[in-house]
Amino acid sequence: MGKFTNFLEKLDSLDRRVIFLIIGLVVLIPLLIPLGLPIETTNLTEDAFYAIEDLPANAKVLLSFEYGPSSKPEIHPMAVSVLRHLFSKGNEVVIMCLWPDGLFMANEALELVAHDEFKLEYGVDYVNLGYRPGNEAVIKGITKSFEANFSVDSRGIPISQIPIMQDVQTARDVDFIFSFSAGYPGAIEWVLYAGDPLQVPVSSGNSSIQVNQLLPYVKSGQMKGVIAGMPGAAEYETLLIQKVEGKEGLLVNKAHALLPNFKENRDATKFMDAQSIAHLVIVLFIILGNISYFVKRKKQQKY
Amino acid sequence: MYIGILGAWVAVFLTLSILSYLYKDNVFYKLSEHIFVGVSAAHWATIAFWNQVQPNLFGRLWPQAEVAALEGFNKFWYGIYHVLHVLFEKVFPEETINGVLYRGIGDQPQNLSYLIAFILGVFMLFRLIPKIGWLSRWSLAYVIGMAAGLRLYGYMSSDVIGQIHATMLPLWTGNLGESINNIILIVGVLTGLFYFFFSVEHKGALKIVSRIGIYFLMVYFGASFGFAVMGRISLLIGRFNDLIEYSGKQYGFATPILLLIMVAVLILSGRKEKKNKEAEA
Repeated sequence: MGKFTNFLEKLDSLDRRVIFLIIGLVVLIPLLIPLGLPIETTNLTEDAFYAIEDLPANAKVLLSFEYGPSSKPEIHPMAVSVLRHLFSKGNEVVIMCLWPDGLFMANEALELVAHDEFKLEYGVDYVNLGYRPGNEAVIKGITKSFEANFSVDSRGIPISQIPIMQDVQTARDVDFIFSFSAGYPGAIEWVLYAGDPLQVPVSSGNSSIQVNQLLPYVKSGQMKGVIAGMPGAAEYETLLIQKVEGKEGLLVNKAHALLPNFKENRDATKFMDAQSIAHLVIVLFIILGNISYFVKRKKQQKY
Repeated sequence: MYIGILGAWVAVFLTLSILSYLYKDNVFYKLSEHIFVGVSAAHWATIAFWNQVQPNLFGRLWPQAEVAALEGFNKFWYGIYHVLHVLFEKVFPEETINGVLYRGIGDQPQNLSYLIAFILGVFMLFRLIPKIGWLSRWSLAYVIGMAAGLRLYGYMSSDVIGQIHATMLPLWTGNLGESINNIILIVGVLTGLFYFFFSVEHKGALKIVSRIGIYFLMVYFGASFGFAVMGRISLLIGRFNDLIEYSGKQYGFATPILLLIMVAVLILSGRKEKKNKEAEA
């Protein structure tokens, strides 16, 4: 007992680099040796999934990319899954970016899903309007006119010449808005300046750190669910595979043939083992840290 | 192929350099930090110019027009464009289609009111010239005024009215679980708001209300901290995944080689530092 108490006391003065090393190892090992821990879906992700699932086949969806390489591991798997979901149902997609890096993230996701997997036609099935600086002013701007804010798309094509944009003059003409957001400007601005004023449903895929700020909007119905960080992305991947496997709801012919791709390339699910084990170890550290603090305090009170 | 390998080596070097800060501040970390700041600023400026300034500002001041058909003011106006074309050919292009010379950018209708935005943008750059730097305040005044107005409207309608509306919930809905949730939400909002009400001293019964408010805030902060940890671990997973991918033969064993070199350099520099300190002592 005495040895254990000594060990707990020493924990208080443990070199922080030892903790970094342990966290590094518990993240690294599950990436090298996957455990295949099960993924349970939650209401937040299900709400976002079914909001998209309930859209009709001819619905036009506006996706906004507000993240960059720094938040890619969390948000990019969501972007890939949502694109797969929309294209599986035959929905048309208009993409824009409020972050400069979002343009590259959008192009990377489109290259994989729209080009390689679904082999869709640019300008007809989807378009990438690119990045515009101006934050919420851009959102406010497209509630009046897309063309006034995006004279050309990301490839330099005038948007008046893009077939998919003929029926999309303002943000009012889209059936759903989805923001992949890692900060400002992001999901909150979409609710404030487009979703609420135009009464267009909004949902979002977010970095974990933002989720707490968004929950009030979900609770109030101003936002249709949230994909919350990497666990949310893994849940969305699971829901999509369950849908395609079970042939539920709207599905274009290609979707079922792409099921092996969906199963093979699901980064968030692959990463969740490392995330879960790391969380477990952090919880353990917090418990040990607290015990160590109380043991030390008790000893000091004795003398 | 070689570009891909080079990219992998650069990515691995920068990732390991940033992670090396966990050991201690060092030259690798400082180098990569400066590269990141410089590249980010240049990247943002370039993207903003080619996506916004060139097509949306210059494109509206000088939309593409047939030179031969220009007359009156526009003849003079497009003459300025031609001078700009001579100076900056890529930004202000001219092209000949079927033997007809065209000047301008895109097919937007001409809108000279964008000159105001252009002038305010130029004023912003005057900060670099101290004598006329005061002009940049006009641009800032416009930006602040516009942003304040825009945000006030958004926050009032969605955050204040929308959220108050969402808090007006029945205490009993007929469903026990839902009713408990509603009661917790209402109590949390009221006590949380009361905690920030400083016009009366928080003592007696009011102290209890205020204390309940603190507990709700603590739960919020705890949840935020949990989400923050989750986010940071996700980012670490992303970097480790790349390091694992780039450790293979196809990338020339970038991760193990660079890791060994950096560890060796850090050990040697640590020893040298120790020796210098001993010599000084």
